[in-house]
Amino acid sequence: MSAIVVNEFARMRHLHVVLLVAVLFAVVTGIGLYAAVFNPDFDRTSASSWNTLLMGMGSGFTLAAPLLLAVVASRLVDAEHQGGGWLMSATSGVTPGGLCRAKLLALGLLVAGATVLVSAAFAAVGLAVGIDAPWPAGRWLGLTACLLVVSLALLALHVVLAARVENQLVGIGLGLLGAVVALISTAVPTWIAHLTPWGYYALSAAAGYVDGQLAGFAPSYLNIGGLSAVAAAIFALFTRSFDRQEV
Amino acid sequence: MSFIVESSNLTKAYGGRTVVDGLDLRIPEGSVYGFLGPNGSGKSTTMKMLLSLIRPTGGEVEVLGQPMNRSTRRQLLGSIGSLIESPPGYAHLTGAENMRIVQRLLGLDDAQVDFAVKTVRMHGQMGKRVREYSLGMKQRLGIAMALARQPKLLILDEPTNGLDPAGIEEIRELLRRLADGGVTVMVSSHLLGEVDKTATVLGILSQGRMIFQGTRADLFSAATPDLLIDCSDPRRAQSMLARAHGARLEDTTVRLAGVDSDEATAGVVTGLVAEGIGVHGVRRDEQTLESVFMGLTAGGGL
Repeated sequence: MSAIVVNEFARMRHLHVVLLVAVLFAVVTGIGLYAAVFNPDFDRTSASSWNTLLMGMGSGFTLAAPLLLAVVASRLVDAEHQGGGWLMSATSGVTPGGLCRAKLLALGLLVAGATVLVSAAFAAVGLAVGIDAPWPAGRWLGLTACLLVVSLALLALHVVLAARVENQLVGIGLGLLGAVVALISTAVPTWIAHLTPWGYYALSAAAGYVDGQLAGFAPSYLNIGGLSAVAAAIFALFTRSFDRQEV
Repeated sequence: MSFIVESSNLTKAYGGRTVVDGLDLRIPEGSVYGFLGPNGSGKSTTMKMLLSLIRPTGGEVEVLGQPMNRSTRRQLLGSIGSLIESPPGYAHLTGAENMRIVQRLLGLDDAQVDFAVKTVRMHGQMGKRVREYSLGMKQRLGIAMALARQPKLLILDEPTNGLDPAGIEEIRELLRRLADGGVTVMVSSHLLGEVDKTATVLGILSQGRMIFQGTRADLFSAATPDLLIDCSDPRRAQSMLARAHGARLEDTTVRLAGVDSDEATAGVVTGLVAEGIGVHGVRRDEQTLESVFMGLTAGGGL
């Protein structure tokens, strides 16, 4: 791992970023398991139990991730604004764009770890209660990957926004708005969910109610792939413009 | 004389406003270069261009014998320490943690960091968080960050800003020690007194233009002091010379500006004597460096 990324982990000390990511894990797991286990369709003797857990995991991310991702990104980026870090790094040859990329990578590793742990915790609960139906590995891993991609796209958005706008309330406010949009997106036509990055949590769903019946289905891989490509392109565009920016 | 920094016609304009105008900077190796000018005269912008943090609109910069630009910047910055604008430092981290960030970024060893910390006499404070530091301590930590790479050139932008007299003297002393150790130091200030005692070469900037560059002695000789005349009838002498030389009366002494040669001085004396005024004293005013600087920058809002 490069020194620039290791430095990002060093900057996280005393900023409670790791704690916030742990809160993300705890809140997503708590909301998701509560929603799954107390779902009337949760019955360990039927295959639908895995679907309630898949739905619960999606709900947990939808409700908790937009705000918490905004908070972790803004805390880490704000340290540069407050500490003159942009200029200090630039005088050591690291451009602001390079710093943003390192921040996304460092935070992305933490968020990826938390996402995998959430996914493993849900699977562990399903196996522990002895759900009879086989574990739907494909959809499970697919949902985990899609939730991670959407979270990383949002993280990238917040890193760029926090770097651009010094007032961190703007990013956190957007995160709060994002949570509402993510929630609404689960109940609106699919095309509307495509319009905002938060709507893609709804498109990640691997289970849901169709005509009143709980059913399993594949996440919208193509759309999530499209989001990842667009987010990567926009992030690259912005961070390259930061590289050229005069400090 | 070899120069560690050379710029030719260095210019920066924002829109139609030129903030640095055609600078030919020459910083001799091993010198303490005092970069002076009123606030807003373009000092920070110039320093940022030397570090390639902002792109010049025109002209070129050579640092350590190489052109400084975006492609050479990373390599050259390894030999240039700098402290631009406010001192850097992550407030939530300790001094030691801040230094480790710099150490990792530049691939420095522990000895280099220890040397820098000891040089600024901060070794007793490194366990404290930066938010608990005084401004002077933050400045010294910033200088330690710049020094850790053991630079050949150190660029400090108003390092004494906001410091008390003891802090200012401490920074002066530090600059002297660094220069004695062979580091070339470029230090900016809007106050002549802050760099006067340490700088071996001075560059004075006014409204983006270099109005003087040279040694302290050169600076004195660049400005002609006023001529002071003591005579038997100062009032009549003042009225005689008012039009040609803007003569002013100070007690019983007539002060003349712009009389810049011995011939002109002799001409003035001859004229007074021809009018029957006895001249018993002709001398040049004693100038302070401050008054020369103020004269050159036309007040400059200092």
